Amino acid sequence: MTLMPLPRSTFLLVLNLALALIVGAIGFGVGFVQGELAQNVLLFTVITVAVLFWLANYVAVAFENRRVPAAAKAGDAEADDEAVGFGSIWAANRALIIAMVLLLIAYLIITVTVPMFRTIGNLIAFLVLEAILVFAFKVSGVFVHGRSAFIGLIVLIALIVISAFTIDGFLSAANIKAVLLFAAFLGIACVGQTLVALLGGLDLSIPFVIGTANIGLLYLIGLGVPSWLGFAAVIIIGGLIGFLNGVLSYRLQGQALIVTLGTGFAVAGLVQIVTSIGSQFSGNVFGTVPSWLSNLAAMNGSTFGLSVPPTILLWLLLSIVVVIALRYSAYGRYIYALGGNRRSAMLIGISEFKYWVLAYLISGAFAALTGALLLGWSGGGFIGVGDQYLFTTLAAVVIGGTSLAGGYGGYGFTVIGVLVLQVLSSFLIGIGLKYEWQQFIFGLLILPMVALYSRSPHIRAQV
Amino acid sequence: MTESRGAQNTYLLIPILLLAILASIAVIRGPSLVSLAGFGSAIIVAAPLILATYALMPIAIAGRGTVDLAVGPLLAFVNVSIVSLNGLGLVTSPLGVFVVAIAIGVIYQILFALMIIVVRVQPIIVALSGFLALSGINRVILPRPGGVAPDWMISWSLGNTIFSPVLLILVLATGGWLLFTLSPFFKHLRMMGYDERAAFTAGVSIDVVRIGAHVIAGIFVSLGAICYTALIASGDPMQGTTMSLTAVTAVVLGGVSLAGGRGTVTGALLGAVNLFLIGYVLTTFQFGTVQGFVTQLLYGLTLIASLLLTMLVPVVGRHISFISPFAAFMVLGIVVAAIVLEVSTAQTYVGAGPNPAVAGDLMHRYLLFPPATDGPSLAISLSPLQKLLFVAAAGIATLVVMMRVVVVEATARRFGAFGHVVVACFLLLLLALVAIYGQPARGGLVP
Repeated sequence: MTLMPLPRSTFLLVLNLALALIVGAIGFGVGFVQGELAQNVLLFTVITVAVLFWLANYVAVAFENRRVPAAAKAGDAEADDEAVGFGSIWAANRALIIAMVLLLIAYLIITVTVPMFRTIGNLIAFLVLEAILVFAFKVSGVFVHGRSAFIGLIVLIALIVISAFTIDGFLSAANIKAVLLFAAFLGIACVGQTLVALLGGLDLSIPFVIGTANIGLLYLIGLGVPSWLGFAAVIIIGGLIGFLNGVLSYRLQGQALIVTLGTGFAVAGLVQIVTSIGSQFSGNVFGTVPSWLSNLAAMNGSTFGLSVPPTILLWLLLSIVVVIALRYSAYGRYIYALGGNRRSAMLIGISEFKYWVLAYLISGAFAALTGALLLGWSGGGFIGVGDQYLFTTLAAVVIGGTSLAGGYGGYGFTVIGVLVLQVLSSFLIGIGLKYEWQQFIFGLLILPMVALYSRSPHIRAQV
Repeated sequence: MTESRGAQNTYLLIPILLLAILASIAVIRGPSLVSLAGFGSAIIVAAPLILATYALMPIAIAGRGTVDLAVGPLLAFVNVSIVSLNGLGLVTSPLGVFVVAIAIGVIYQILFALMIIVVRVQPIIVALSGFLALSGINRVILPRPGGVAPDWMISWSLGNTIFSPVLLILVLATGGWLLFTLSPFFKHLRMMGYDERAAFTAGVSIDVVRIGAHVIAGIFVSLGAICYTALIASGDPMQGTTMSLTAVTAVVLGGVSLAGGRGTVTGALLGAVNLFLIGYVLTTFQFGTVQGFVTQLLYGLTLIASLLLTMLVPVVGRHISFISPFAAFMVLGIVVAAIVLEVSTAQTYVGAGPNPAVAGDLMHRYLLFPPATDGPSLAISLSPLQKLLFVAAAGIATLVVMMRVVVVEATARRFGAFGHVVVACFLLLLLALVAIYGQPARGGLVP
């Protein structure tokens, strides 16, 4: 990669320049409105434009490099039938135009009917949404690989911009810390789900393992087991549950979803029976969480004096390790090989059973780790603590763009998905929506996100 | 044709066996089940689950691994809609409620189908999306369990008779599906589920078939929601998740293939009834505070076990192909019926005789003889009706077994193990006859 990357396509170059200039101009205007010193404003504007331009180019080149041959071919084909006029524009951008018009109509209807809706923030949000649509449909078409990650990043940036405008204190240190902390919990739980999805499976036992680890750890501590030993034991037990999942679902890969649901159900029931014996609080476990565990995951935790909960750093470290391992280690490559084409992978001597079981084992262990960390965060055991992770782990993987059919995607994508989900959730809380509405909106948002990049081919194309 | 039907039916063996075991335990542990009220209320409690399981069946048959995890939240959505509309006084009449409920279910399922067909997203993602959206909106409509069901529905859930409207709905749903299986549309559905590409190449308009399957599912969900509303007589937005998981378990247990192409209404019915019975049996054991957890544990284990067993069925089926599910059902049915009779008549006959400790009375109890007044005697007197019943039961059982043996042995290359058993039984019977009637005191076989 060169020091000053420039994308091959002039369109992208112009677009990046325009983007940088627009953001620079906004900063310029805002600076003068706030009454800063003129030279400061100028300096910052120039720096912003330069850095943004460089970053945008860097991103564009990173995604563009791989698609050159395909694009060249497409360009040749397009040159032949280049017709002008409204008809061809409509034909080429039908979906985009329909979507944009629908959004416009929705915005106008709400604006006309609800007086409280008429604010600058909402106007900006509307414009940003329209821009996302344009980006998602036009720009992402240029990329063959990593389209989902690109769209995810755009959505993430747009969400942050909208939230920063509409919610007071969204960019405050406390809020960023909270978003990152919850993202870390979700992200750690998603490690296994990503690996399993890369192999073409699904693990729905994650929420139950989280809940199990949560009350199980507190129960062990209550029994007088040293807390570090309990912590390790819980993770090992989680791994064992994952191992069981893998072995049971190996021959039933089509039904892995149901098998893991069954094991999850059974495990959660079993642990609750064990912890309830000799206790008058059915299902709930009470006890004291050791201070090192609370420090590990609570909002006011600190790492080596920094006031950042260690969980966030743990997640960061874990992300780097997992991304590198998936990309460069034999284990990672074999997972992609198996997910992409099981038969050819087995023919070159990769043991499908081994990797399938290992992926589930990792999934169980990380789910248990999440449960243990959540105990440190909440300070009390509760079996239902993992319930929301049943679908959010899946949603993060899917939104990030890892294919559920296997073989395509990666943990980097999942990290983007996790961040999108958490920022969105924080935004929805910020504008005062209740949990129910959030769930509703999450549900409705998953479909268009997935529809943008992981549509399966028509049956005609498969015959 | 017979081949595929046999292959389908083999999967019913497991639920049938489980049903026999569970029904026996349920009747022995909780005899109150065997009464007009007990049976009536059992139907009402089980109906929503049965209909939710039916709803999963057509879309599972349609293939592409479609498991509508959102079936529970959808059921709850229809439930809270009915209750809310009733609370607002908008829709209260029976016709209105049925129309609204079925419209909601069908519209949701058509949207589901369109997402799969037009947007071409994997069904599991659509189901996930629907699950989140519906669970959210349910609690927006009705934040906590409450509300009142329409007045005319209250009498449904009394359960003092078997022939409640709920049973009528169940019978209509089952009958409707059975009629549907006669249509070419159903053949297309199965073909599409088994191999979508082949169906498409063969000229089946797969889009229409898929939408049709979802419409049927929508109707079943709505009927289930109506039964559920009648059962709890209010609205409950929280029940969705449990209902989804239980219905998925039931559908898997009933031998419906989640990969598509295989599934029967009998299987779905048996699966749902089995799950109901598991719950019923567990309530008869007093687990105290851990009751719910034991249920959860057993549901999970049942789910895994039934999946693993469906994997074994083709292997086992090769060796026990002489047992048809129908024969198994008849034989086990007679056994269970005997247990039911024993339990239901225990109060009537135990201790009625002058000498209850005598072994002979046990025979009387089991076989419904009127209590003997002068001690046990071998000269048992049957009423004409009893004679008819016993002969009919024995006749049916023998006929079923014999037919099965004949059918199987006709095509088998070697004489199977079961054939040997039957011949051995006949020989023993012959010997016994000779031993009884061949005694000199009786004058021998030939007088």
